[in-house]
Amino acid sequence: MNHRLTIKLSGSEGAVIRALGLIERRGFSLGKCSVGEADISGRVMKVSVSSTRPGELLKRQLERLHDVFHVELKPVAAVKPRTLGIRPVTLKEH
Amino acid sequence: MKPSTQIAPKLRSGSQILIEALERNGVKQIFGYPGGTIMPVYDALVGSGLKHYLCRHEQGAALAADAYGRVTRKAGVCIATSGPGATNLVTGIANAFMDSVPMVVITGQVPSALQGTDAFQEVDIFGITLPIVKHSYIVRNVTDIPHIVNEAFQLAQSGRPGPVLIDLPKDISAGMGDIVYTPPQAWPETGLPDEEAMQAAAEMLSQARRPLVIAGGGIAISDSVEAFRQFIARTGMPVTSTLKGLGVMPADDPHYVGMLGMHGNGAANHAVQNCDLLMVVGARFDDRATGHLAQFAQSARIIHIDIDAAEISKLRKADVAIVSELAPALEGIRPERTANPGWQAQCAGWTKEFAWRYDAPVKGIYAPKLLRDLSRAQPEGLTITCDVGQHQMWVAQHCTFNDPLEHISSGGLGTMGYGLPAAIGAKVAKPDATVVCVSGDGSIMMNIQELATLKRYGIDVKILLLDNSALGLVRQWQEIFFEGNYSEVHLSDNPDFAAVARAFGIQARSIKEPEEVSDALEWLLNTESAAMLHVSIDSMENVWPLVPPGKPNHKMMRSTPDK
Repeated sequence: MNHRLTIKLSGSEGAVIRALGLIERRGFSLGKCSVGEADISGRVMKVSVSSTRPGELLKRQLERLHDVFHVELKPVAAVKPRTLGIRPVTLKEH
Repeated sequence: MKPSTQIAPKLRSGSQILIEALERNGVKQIFGYPGGTIMPVYDALVGSGLKHYLCRHEQGAALAADAYGRVTRKAGVCIATSGPGATNLVTGIANAFMDSVPMVVITGQVPSALQGTDAFQEVDIFGITLPIVKHSYIVRNVTDIPHIVNEAFQLAQSGRPGPVLIDLPKDISAGMGDIVYTPPQAWPETGLPDEEAMQAAAEMLSQARRPLVIAGGGIAISDSVEAFRQFIARTGMPVTSTLKGLGVMPADDPHYVGMLGMHGNGAANHAVQNCDLLMVVGARFDDRATGHLAQFAQSARIIHIDIDAAEISKLRKADVAIVSELAPALEGIRPERTANPGWQAQCAGWTKEFAWRYDAPVKGIYAPKLLRDLSRAQPEGLTITCDVGQHQMWVAQHCTFNDPLEHISSGGLGTMGYGLPAAIGAKVAKPDATVVCVSGDGSIMMNIQELATLKRYGIDVKILLLDNSALGLVRQWQEIFFEGNYSEVHLSDNPDFAAVARAFGIQARSIKEPEEVSDALEWLLNTESAAMLHVSIDSMENVWPLVPPGKPNHKMMRSTPDK
């Protein structure tokens, strides 16, 4: 299953690597990742992840970190193979 | 009007403010080892209000701080220098992390200007410990010290406890500042348990025909033993415990079926596999406790109560989840009825059927019986710390505990070498308790240098050393699962442990005959100072029952299969 996470976290030293390390360590592969500029309120990280494990689990484990303030989790549907709308035929039918 | 008096700036070093911050957070004792980058702190330590215990290896200091934290529920504090000092703490930090133990770890670090340059004794301990701390800091300004120390203690001790690391560069600890310590702001109280969830749990319990409660390590951590016992007394449900839940129920309580899991009691494993409702209190479905997870309590619905939301449905889906402190949840769940005489009778029957036996024909001293006799020799006021291996499982099976804090065992990490430094930490925390370290010939060698710490401070710890001249549990697994292809498990070249103890100035005796046990235990428990009783036991003795990997808890082995 694929998920997109929007993580609001502290701007303190180590916060980003702490969160990224946890994501991989808990069995989620990192896809795209963007880390915003830190300001007085912290920063925002957007990460896409994939795993056989439920995304909800990762959300709660991230939120348990003192550096992480909030995690928004969105499942992302896997890309379906495109069909051309043609009924499949077998040789017999000809 | 008189002008207000000017307060002269009071310049103090970062180390002095650190020590004040530690004292203001209630610290009285710390365990550590000095070195280059932590020297400013050690300089400020002299004449301070803190008592420092010099261990002889930083790992010993960390494990002592761990046990101190377990028994007091306040963060144990350990301190070391940078580089190898810090890396030597890593096992102790991981140990505290796995068992949710409050701990504050202070490491020296090279001066800020040298960081990242591969300086002498520089390691990125912050980076190394990221996965095994609850939180961590590198101090960048002297003025941050009070706030960081306050927050470290709050984090270490609140919610699900854990180790917190403070990395302290030498220029900061030596740096001067006009800093006034400010006490922390109290954190808001954690919320009460959800009313609807407690109601749902009560209904589920009332409907259950074969309910069972698992008492986990969280009960000791959160000081909820009394609340738990009252819940059981009120509802009359059978109870099993994990390794870390031993002592939550008195061993002879009629509701108690024993410890479940890989080396658990047959009664507990049959009860858990046959229950239709499992109420899990402060436990986390660890694989040692569940056996093959897919077949664990297959017919049961699950009520899971824990302070940590991330544990809920991590391994097994909870039908009702209550994320809160344990005591208010236990007090608030009021099922209409749970007593099912048929099920209670069945559990009682299993308890009787699978009661431990001590009549096996053994050569020499039988370790399970010895450990049962240890508990009987001092039924009150005994705290047992243990190392890891067969002896640890026998302690769990055969010693009796009236309180979980009487049983100090490395559960999650399973750290060999834990027992002796843990006994030091426990005794420093509870000077009135009789503290016995039960160890094995493999484990005792891992922190043997801490015998010097016993001697240095006159710490009256008793060591019961079970010597089977082997790395017992590994040898057992090789016997059962590797067709007896023994690899690196025979310790036939052990030193004379009693002579080693005496060389450290610790009195010691050696025994190997069953007739010697009674007098020897009497001596060990009553002798005036630290002592070691070295006991030779049969090297081929195994721990039974054993739930093999990949098998459910009710498929216990009771002997090695024939080839």
